[in-house]
Amino acid sequence: MRFTQILDLVRINLIQNKFKVLLTSIGIIVGAATIVCVIAIGRGGQADVAEQFRNLNAGAMDISCEQPQKGSSSRGANAAGASVRSASNTAKKTDPSASKQSGRSEKNVSGYPAELGGNTQTKSTRRITLSVDDMDDITSAVAGLSEATITYTTKQNIYGGNIEDTESYTVAGTLSDYARLSNLSMLFGDYLSDADNENKQKVCVLGYSAAKKIFGSADQAYDSLVYIADRPYTVGGVLAQQGTVESGISADEAIFIPYATGIKYLTGSNISPTITIIASDVDNISSIIDNVKAVLAQSYPDAEFTISDAGSKMEAANKSNRTLTLMLIAMACIVFIIGGIGIMNVLFVSVKERTEEIGILKAIGGSKKVILLEFIMEACCISLIGGLLGVLLSFAVTPVLTGFGLRMELSVTGALIALGFCIVTGTVFGFYPAWKASRLVPVEALSSE
Amino acid sequence: MSAQHMICMHNVCKSYKMGSEQLRVLKNVDFTVNKGEFTAILGPSGSGKSTLMNIIGCMDNLDSGSYELNGIPIHRTKEKELARIRNHEIGFIFQNYHLIPTYNVMQNIIMPLLMRGQDRKTAERNCREIISMLGLSDRLAHKPSELSGGQRQRVAIARALCSKPSLLLADEPTGALDQSSGAEVLALFKKLHEMGNTIVMITHDMNVAKWAHRTVDLIDGELIQ
Repeated sequence: MRFTQILDLVRINLIQNKFKVLLTSIGIIVGAATIVCVIAIGRGGQADVAEQFRNLNAGAMDISCEQPQKGSSSRGANAAGASVRSASNTAKKTDPSASKQSGRSEKNVSGYPAELGGNTQTKSTRRITLSVDDMDDITSAVAGLSEATITYTTKQNIYGGNIEDTESYTVAGTLSDYARLSNLSMLFGDYLSDADNENKQKVCVLGYSAAKKIFGSADQAYDSLVYIADRPYTVGGVLAQQGTVESGISADEAIFIPYATGIKYLTGSNISPTITIIASDVDNISSIIDNVKAVLAQSYPDAEFTISDAGSKMEAANKSNRTLTLMLIAMACIVFIIGGIGIMNVLFVSVKERTEEIGILKAIGGSKKVILLEFIMEACCISLIGGLLGVLLSFAVTPVLTGFGLRMELSVTGALIALGFCIVTGTVFGFYPAWKASRLVPVEALSSE
Repeated sequence: MSAQHMICMHNVCKSYKMGSEQLRVLKNVDFTVNKGEFTAILGPSGSGKSTLMNIIGCMDNLDSGSYELNGIPIHRTKEKELARIRNHEIGFIFQNYHLIPTYNVMQNIIMPLLMRGQDRKTAERNCREIISMLGLSDRLAHKPSELSGGQRQRVAIARALCSKPSLLLADEPTGALDQSSGAEVLALFKKLHEMGNTIVMITHDMNVAKWAHRTVDLIDGELIQ
């Protein structure tokens, strides 16, 4: 019997049993919809990660000092030594560009320098502040770095523009190269310059959302005044919209000021800066991290530093996204298995119901192969119909799930994979009932009624 | 086996297990049918008529003995070849018609030709003459459930004839019909016989058997010629 004719028989049988086909395929409908949604969620997650890390350079590493820990009671020469070095460094640095007056320092809780009363100080209460000097130490001692910058953030009360009362905003002290290192692009004006930093100019650059919130729009913000901690700052530029970021400063919401300006007018030395270095070759990141640790250990023997590289963060985020996707796929597989068992059950019942028909087909010359093919194809068609309905269901469900804040990106690949799963499920679970049907003895099948 | 013999059975035995007992249904049956014969196998209920017909129709195997159909040793033939023989050599007509309820009249009639690999249009063309001879032309789109008993049996006969088999096997073809429909079907059998078809008909009714050219009696599994 020709394949197309078997398909024709299947078509007739399915049309005759529309409602049964629909009920049978419910498991498959849910399974297919789940697969499409899972793939859409996975793709959405990947897109999210890509977007969040869009501004990150894969070779970027952030160096920051961990928060002081309680419990340790070591004290002594090292701490004092670091402070002495710090003092000498500060003294040594006479370069006016230095903003670098922000030099490396360690303070105790009581506010007394370690070298004065430091012998009562413990490591647990010591505060280490990374500085431009540390950044210079790293860039001069560690090979394989292309660029480096240092930043810190602080929360400050802002007013100006449309703000009637003060509002708290993140203010970031940065050097001029921060925009380039973080791939920030300008909508209006220019980013902060070296001269702004050297002269401790009261200028700022607003993130896109911050500009909109404070002034109503980015163009109105440009060249206006904004008051940070009651001091007026000229808005020298507005950033283009950057989107959400996973790491570092959320540029859209922040206000950027020159590094030295912030220390002078806003924070004093009470900051926790992060040094960002860029590896010229991504493959050398682990050796660079080791070298950076060694350089920092010379300056701060007792201190613990956190060095996180963007590549690892991206990898970790992608990995967690993959884990979530795999978990959802496993769930979809379970749904498919349940759907497949449903199909198998219904086909078994169908074989039982249609035993006489199988007997008739055998009596008029139907071979085992024809019967086997007819039942398998019937199972496949039921699965495929279920799959198509499932894909449609997923299209209907997606806006609802998106409404709950879940990012989903539907794809043709997802739909095709779901349909592929359906066909496999139909074939696998339809095979046994079909095989049983094909093995029926004609005379017994005919007398089954 | 003579060239004239279409069916040649020798010493055929068949038994079934009924619980712990072995029930001998056919006992050393010797039976021959010549080409073009219209033979009736007459026997009461439980005499083994249907078992004999199933064996003749290649739907059941025999325990011992030999059976040749058109010179083919059926007792040594594999299932795949038996399916081909059922399709090409035998046309079945059952007491309960055995039409597929989900298919319409035309689909039921052409089914053996589709099984043979013919495409639907060719099969329909090949069956047109038989359909018209049996007066079914205006019933082709109907489902079996929409037909009378006599019409259903005519559909079953059309299905049996469309594959142009060498043997028509009829199992109590009038058993489910009223008298006039039964007579109509038997008249049709007579006509088919006159057209040269070989027919083996199983019945328990002497009056039906009278329509045949030759009658053999089957009593308790033994054939009395």
